[in-house]
Amino acid sequence: MSSPSKRRDMDVMKLIMSDYSVETINDGLAEFNVEFHGPKESPYEGGVWKVRVELPDAYPYKSPSIGFLNKIFHPNVDELSGSICLDVINQSWSPMFDLLNIFEVFLPQLLLYPNPLDPLNGDAASLLLKDKIQYEKKVKEYCERYAKSKMENISDGSDEDISEDECNTGSDTDGIAGDADP
Amino acid sequence: MISRKRVVEAEIDQDQAAAVADETLHKRTREDLLISSAVAEETSVMEVDNSQVNGMQIDADGSKPDDIDEDLHSRQLAVYGRETMRRLFASNVLVSGLQGLGAEIAKNLVLAGVRSITLHDEGNVEMWDLSSNFFFSEEDIGKNKALACVLKLQELNNAVVVTTLTGNLSKEKLSSFQAVVFTDVSIEKALDYNDYCHNHQPPISFIKCEVRGLFGGVFCDFGPEFTVSDVDGEEPHTGIIASISNDNPAMVTCVEDERLEFQDGDLIVFSEVEGMTELNDGKPRKIKSARPYSFTLEEDTTNFGAYKKGGIVTQLKEPKILKFKPLKDALRDPGEFLLSDFSKFDRPPLLHLAFQALDRFRHEMGRFPLAGSEEDAQQMIAFAINLNESMGDQKLEEFDRKILRYFSYGSRATLNPMAAIFGGIVGQEVVKACSGKFHPLFQFFYFDSLESLPVEPLEPSYFKPLNHRYDAQISVFGSKLQKKLEDAKIFIVGSGALGCEFLKNLALMGVCCSPEGKLTITDDDVIEKSNLSRQFLFRDWNIGQAKSTVAATAASLINPKLHIEALQNRASPETENVFDDAFWESLDTVINALDNVTARMYIDGRCLYFQKPLLESGTLGAKCNTQMVIPHLTENYGASRDPPEKQAPMCTVHSFPHNIDHCLTWARSEFDGLLEKTPNEVNTFLSNPDVYASSMRNAGDAQARDLLERVLECLDKDRCESFQDCVSWARLRFEDYFSNRMKQLTFTFPEDAVTSSGAPFWSAPKRFPRPLLFSASDPSHIQFIMAASILRAETFAIPVPDWARYPKKIADAVNKVIVLEFQPKTDVNIVTDAKATSLSTASIDDSAVINDLITKLEECSKKLPTEFRMNPIQFEKDDDTNYHMDFIAGLANMRARNYSIPEVDKLKAKFIAGRIIPAIATSTAMATGFVCLELYKALSGGHTVEDYRNTFANLALPLFSIAEPVLPKTIKYRDMSWTVWDRWIIKGDFTLRQLLQWLRDKGLSAYSISSGTSLLYNSMFPRHKDRMDRKVVDLVKEVAKVEIPAYRRHIDVVVACEDEENGEDVDIPLVSIYFC
Repeated sequence: MSSPSKRRDMDVMKLIMSDYSVETINDGLAEFNVEFHGPKESPYEGGVWKVRVELPDAYPYKSPSIGFLNKIFHPNVDELSGSICLDVINQSWSPMFDLLNIFEVFLPQLLLYPNPLDPLNGDAASLLLKDKIQYEKKVKEYCERYAKSKMENISDGSDEDISEDECNTGSDTDGIAGDADP
Repeated sequence: MISRKRVVEAEIDQDQAAAVADETLHKRTREDLLISSAVAEETSVMEVDNSQVNGMQIDADGSKPDDIDEDLHSRQLAVYGRETMRRLFASNVLVSGLQGLGAEIAKNLVLAGVRSITLHDEGNVEMWDLSSNFFFSEEDIGKNKALACVLKLQELNNAVVVTTLTGNLSKEKLSSFQAVVFTDVSIEKALDYNDYCHNHQPPISFIKCEVRGLFGGVFCDFGPEFTVSDVDGEEPHTGIIASISNDNPAMVTCVEDERLEFQDGDLIVFSEVEGMTELNDGKPRKIKSARPYSFTLEEDTTNFGAYKKGGIVTQLKEPKILKFKPLKDALRDPGEFLLSDFSKFDRPPLLHLAFQALDRFRHEMGRFPLAGSEEDAQQMIAFAINLNESMGDQKLEEFDRKILRYFSYGSRATLNPMAAIFGGIVGQEVVKACSGKFHPLFQFFYFDSLESLPVEPLEPSYFKPLNHRYDAQISVFGSKLQKKLEDAKIFIVGSGALGCEFLKNLALMGVCCSPEGKLTITDDDVIEKSNLSRQFLFRDWNIGQAKSTVAATAASLINPKLHIEALQNRASPETENVFDDAFWESLDTVINALDNVTARMYIDGRCLYFQKPLLESGTLGAKCNTQMVIPHLTENYGASRDPPEKQAPMCTVHSFPHNIDHCLTWARSEFDGLLEKTPNEVNTFLSNPDVYASSMRNAGDAQARDLLERVLECLDKDRCESFQDCVSWARLRFEDYFSNRMKQLTFTFPEDAVTSSGAPFWSAPKRFPRPLLFSASDPSHIQFIMAASILRAETFAIPVPDWARYPKKIADAVNKVIVLEFQPKTDVNIVTDAKATSLSTASIDDSAVINDLITKLEECSKKLPTEFRMNPIQFEKDDDTNYHMDFIAGLANMRARNYSIPEVDKLKAKFIAGRIIPAIATSTAMATGFVCLELYKALSGGHTVEDYRNTFANLALPLFSIAEPVLPKTIKYRDMSWTVWDRWIIKGDFTLRQLLQWLRDKGLSAYSISSGTSLLYNSMFPRHKDRMDRKVVDLVKEVAKVEIPAYRRHIDVVVACEDEENGEDVDIPLVSIYFC
């Protein structure tokens, strides 16, 4: 029966505690970005995506809205908007789930086991069905082009105001992010 | 003041009334009517496509297929459907006895729209009646009750003939009616009337009901054989088949898309089955072993064709025949009582006896028992004992004399909340009797709300009449509670259907009716036509006016002493300057009369914060619920929630719809994109091209690119300058949506596409689409073009020529449009050749494309007139002439046709796409009655949680489930405990460091502190360490940008913390810091 706002705080905390880089905008918790690494032993390995998380007022009763900010070639992710078609995040969401589930389980599973039968990106699905090798090739090309590690990925001015709020607990070990650049 | 613009002509002569009623008498027997229309209904379900598409054509030509005013009755149509409404419009009803209960019933029926209603009462208005009949004012005292109501009732709906009968009612007169209701008749007379009705050919539906103080009862007899066509009002359930076995019995499994809602014994029909085509014969089949995703058929399918694919099962609703007992048999042998409150499971038989004893008392003494008279109570109890002795095997072993005593005390009073509840129930029973829709009450229902009495003992002197309008209420509750009601400060949030009913109830009860009392009502909405079928304080001349103001004025006419202020502010965080701390602190109780969860949650939060009781209610069609939120006694509204509404997966809506809802969702989003979002985007660009361009360059992503492409398309290639351009655009949209896209999709996924495991790609629930071939002779194609081009013209401010409304002319115009042959894009398939390693053109860097698009856009805008702007169109469902719903229904139906999904008519499309919440007057009135019974408790004070009641009711079944509210969850930590109602208060202008220390002193380690959605402190954010010595109040101001009003001395923060000893999260209360 925690108040929704407290659940929000707790969930974000859990993410940070699990070494996820969380990028808030002016300390707001209604929407923020999380860095997501493609799972090992998948064609997405090595790719790093910025994932936008929007927590509705009714969170956790209402599901968060999740979208890839940089491009990804995947049957269940809309190439244009980055939105994801995944039942656990949409239709079968339960308040028992939290953000950590999304980043530890749901998204890695989605990338490991794409479902070409319910495609949002028809081209990707069709390619996966017809020619898995070409599909994986294209996935890797996309990773190379759009999802290289974050340091290089931060480019234009629009990121300046957010990067100051970045935080990463793992900064001492993997040294990727977290340095404020005022 | 409500203006009396129209002269209302109501017939008040009783002979004339009888004549009218005679004229309207149905010549056909009612069974005939029911059976023939039941058949008609079935056929219309089967032939939904043809008949309803025809209906649309007729609509488009300007003439309505029937006489239902769909704008007025849309919310009610969503509950009943057209067939039930037509039967209702053909029904003549008698309401006898016009105290509060009769008035409520008559109001609900006039709003519902019966053909005629005849009011019968032989008595005159007394001061006593003013506490429950909202049609009476002090000037009416001495007039006949029926005559005093008739004009005001007529105002509610001109389509209903309202007449009166002021003399003796002979039973032969009953033959003019399909249903008769008696609210104040002796058992002796009732037996006589009922006997006549039961044996009449066709039978006349008979309802007897009474409310006596806090007790009420209903009896229904709809004749020896009554056919119910729809027992629950729910849509027939469906399932998508995955497999059927060749077996005996046959096993049917369905796709695990949605759980099946079938029950054993349900009848179903099959359609679209491939392979085992024997099942497509349309024959109803009974199911067994119903599971979430499968069931069996009592049928041997061994020799049937082997199941291949496809198939849909649809539940078939069976008519049910009820055999009612006449009153004389039912009194002796009442059968099962409909139970409402399990904590009072033994009460209905006692009340059955009590009402008979009261009837005996009135018969013997010629009056009601006096309030507080022990002598009269004893006399009534003696009658009850006597009656009980004669009951044979129905005799009660023991009974609670205390309950009978209270029954006797208050028996003369009609309380408004009780009248509202039973007015709703009986109103619904009349609708059932007239239409066969929903399951009738079979046959007795009793209810009481003794818990509403004040907790302190009532002295007989409290009941003394003061010769004013509240005397009836005082005779039940005493004058002390009456004073509390009058002095109360109440806030009603919302002035729609619930709000109107509440205002009427409160005015009659005298709540906020002293100079000390104050009722504040707020609603930011204005009155629309569709409101009038149930928001009964509004008239058609009020359309466009503010709801709260009109309702407040009307309520003041019911009781001029009502001290009310009407506001037009939406209750939300933005209006906290209006509804400030002082306002909230002044309140005694808050009543929600809202229609959305967001506002309910907000008010719940405020009530929780200011520790105010919140009386919550809501309705959905024939269902209603009420929930009491009482500080420290119950959980709050937000503590338990309904699962969020089911939404179709994006990919389904995008490319794989399998029902009309999916098509409508898609149509709605296309409407918004084409007619609202893109024109808005165009205007944003035009109003400041440089700012727009740089923001797009900054974003630099695929979405920005998409937006730019749309804007450019709209201003360049697709720009319309004449109406003919709009027709061309519409024609090309048709081609794109319903032909090209389907061709592309089936090119990418051919019908025989398989997965790696060899399973077909196009398997259930996916449906294989086929492109449409445009034809100017297909009326639905032309309808689509007409709606699309008219709306397109509107966005470009192009005048719509008169000919645009003639299908023939549109057909001529559309034939001039040149449509190019479509070639599916093949870039996916060429990846196997040498180019595969380089990314295709679609994937060139967005930023380059964006730059290019911006250049083109700047070029293009130079050619535009300087003041050129588009007109974005906002979807408005409730205007039948704006073509919005025509366009959406057209889009959805053409898409449905692509996927061979059954189409729907415009009305049904409007219900789904417009998210029209079905609503009727009966359940609304009932909900407010239940809440007002709780209001007595909340304002009287001192009640324990055991006295309060939450309700869930469904008038369609009918079902009443009344229970105590749930307690708030108690959290225990070390030697402390608290609930959601508690708060930790800190006096002192603490710094962050001090706050953390204060918590550490309790053994708590705080890791996150926030205000609203802003983070003030998170132990993992290194830079938050700099905030340690800042005052918390300053952080709230700076980081969360909260403006603290000058008068406020505290701020609140949410702290997430854990037990320092075991690291477990502790859910602590809100922390309030009093900084000065």
